[in-house]
Amino acid sequence: MSDLLEALLYRPNFIAFVILFLWGFYIMVIHPNLVKKLIGLYIVQTSVILFLVAFSAKTGATVPIVPAEATVVEASNFTNPLPHVLTLTAIVVQVATLGVSLALVLAIYRKYGSLDVDEVRKKI
Amino acid sequence: MIANFPILLFLVPFVSAVSLPMLGARYPWICRPLALGAVSVSIAVAVANLVTVSHLGAIRYAFGGWAAPLGIEWVDDGLAAVVILTVGVVTWISLVFGGSGPPEARGRVIPYYTLILLLVSGLTGLVFAADLFNVFVFLEVAALTGYALVGASGGRALLSAFRYLVLGSFGASLYLLGVSYLYVATGTLNMADLAQRLPELMSSTAVVSGLIFVFLGLAIKMALVPLHGWLPDAYAHASESVSPILASTVTKVALVAWVRIFYSVVGPGIDVGHVPVLVLLDELGVAAALIGGTLALRQTELKRMFAYGGISHIGLILLGVSLGNATGFAGGVFYLLNDAVMQAALFILAGAAVRHYGVRTLQDLSAIQGRAPWMTAGLMIAAVSMIGLPPTGGFFGKWNIILGALQAENYLGVFAVVASTLLTLAYFVKIFASFLGDRPAVDSRGLEIPLSLKVSLAAASAAMIGLGIWSDPIVSFLFEAALLKGL
Repeated sequence: MSDLLEALLYRPNFIAFVILFLWGFYIMVIHPNLVKKLIGLYIVQTSVILFLVAFSAKTGATVPIVPAEATVVEASNFTNPLPHVLTLTAIVVQVATLGVSLALVLAIYRKYGSLDVDEVRKKI
Repeated sequence: MIANFPILLFLVPFVSAVSLPMLGARYPWICRPLALGAVSVSIAVAVANLVTVSHLGAIRYAFGGWAAPLGIEWVDDGLAAVVILTVGVVTWISLVFGGSGPPEARGRVIPYYTLILLLVSGLTGLVFAADLFNVFVFLEVAALTGYALVGASGGRALLSAFRYLVLGSFGASLYLLGVSYLYVATGTLNMADLAQRLPELMSSTAVVSGLIFVFLGLAIKMALVPLHGWLPDAYAHASESVSPILASTVTKVALVAWVRIFYSVVGPGIDVGHVPVLVLLDELGVAAALIGGTLALRQTELKRMFAYGGISHIGLILLGVSLGNATGFAGGVFYLLNDAVMQAALFILAGAAVRHYGVRTLQDLSAIQGRAPWMTAGLMIAAVSMIGLPPTGGFFGKWNIILGALQAENYLGVFAVVASTLLTLAYFVKIFASFLGDRPAVDSRGLEIPLSLKVSLAAASAAMIGLGIWSDPIVSFLFEAALLKGL
């Protein structure tokens, strides 16, 4: 047990990821307001991105740019660039999703005059 | 040229989708010919691709000339070639019917065709991608166009589209999370590379939970029971021009993506903690087939009934591909092809019933009686194929799944196929009972059934019967594709 606790405390960024993920999921499920549901979804997506960024970091590492004169590249001196690239793409996907979802929410608001799921259901 | 078939299949719909808004703003008449032309060209390329793949084996396309583990790779094997041809054909069938809407829908012609072509290019990427992250990107490209297409018809569809979006994006987040777990454990995203590194890591919880997250994410996208909640509302409320193509492609292609990930990364013989993964998967398939069929029987609205029918078929296909032998795999994939065509035909029929006769529910169905010979014939053929009677493809799909289940001594699987067949029979009996019921005294609006509906119904019916007649070569081709996957 104490080993597990120690391992967890050693990686606070992963605890932050788990808390954010569950928190976002909770908001998404519980809140009747459509915009707040979107905020919950956004937190879930962001927590995954945080996870991707967190595991690419290393102590004492620098940006992954190899100087032209270098002949031997020591991988432990550089952060892993691939998760950052994945993160960028995931953010683009997230932005596109947010755009479509806000357009839908706007259309729902114009049609039914409410953002509350229960009220919108009643009017349908 | 031959090596470029996969990217050509992606670029044809994609370039047309991007150029369509610009050309369409200048020449409004060009939208429909351009979209149909692009899909026809895709079908022609897909046929050439299938012939090439069946003679020369899989095509591997490396983007930008960067070879596999470092660069992004697309693999065009037998399974992908067959599925991509099916996607092309059902898109063509759905577009012929869908684009011929009433004049008041004309204002949205450009976004409609653009979104459909984008959907097709997203699905193409999803079928070919051999890189886990690339699958995520195309999953989202296809899903985003899906949300927009569902929401476009306004009214009740808006809330259904919102639900679809929230659940779909949550599924995509789970998938991405699973992929990042696998990446942390192995340091690679390429499927072939993962396959080499995973076997020795199967005892790691990170790998197992990564695979579970990947499966959960894709299960939401393929509407596997009990994660199917978004599908019936979304497809029932979507406009009749949109639901045929969504119902026939999106869930099936997500399932194809799972099949590819499972067979090229994990492999069929894997146990997790002494539980064979394939047994878990085929029991999920059994549950989905039975629950979906039962729920379909309870519906009173045509489109919802067909939507639940599609959910139960996803279960049957998953059961077939997870039986662990090549017969079941070939049967499952063959049933997937049939299901794509059947769903297109059924949603076209339901859409035409709404559009031309204002019929939404089973109760009103008798209003069509005696007025629509083409639709009646189409419904008969679709029913025969759905139930699975010999001249149509549906029979041979189910037959091979049963043979595979017997070979694997999986009697629960045999029971599930037979029981879901009986459930399908039951809800089609319900449909025909109300169809042949007393005809209400309604004004016959005398709306001429347009040529486009006749063409798409004829094409769909021909495809269903053609799949039955040529089932033997197709199934044996899929059988060989299954053997290559290590079954």
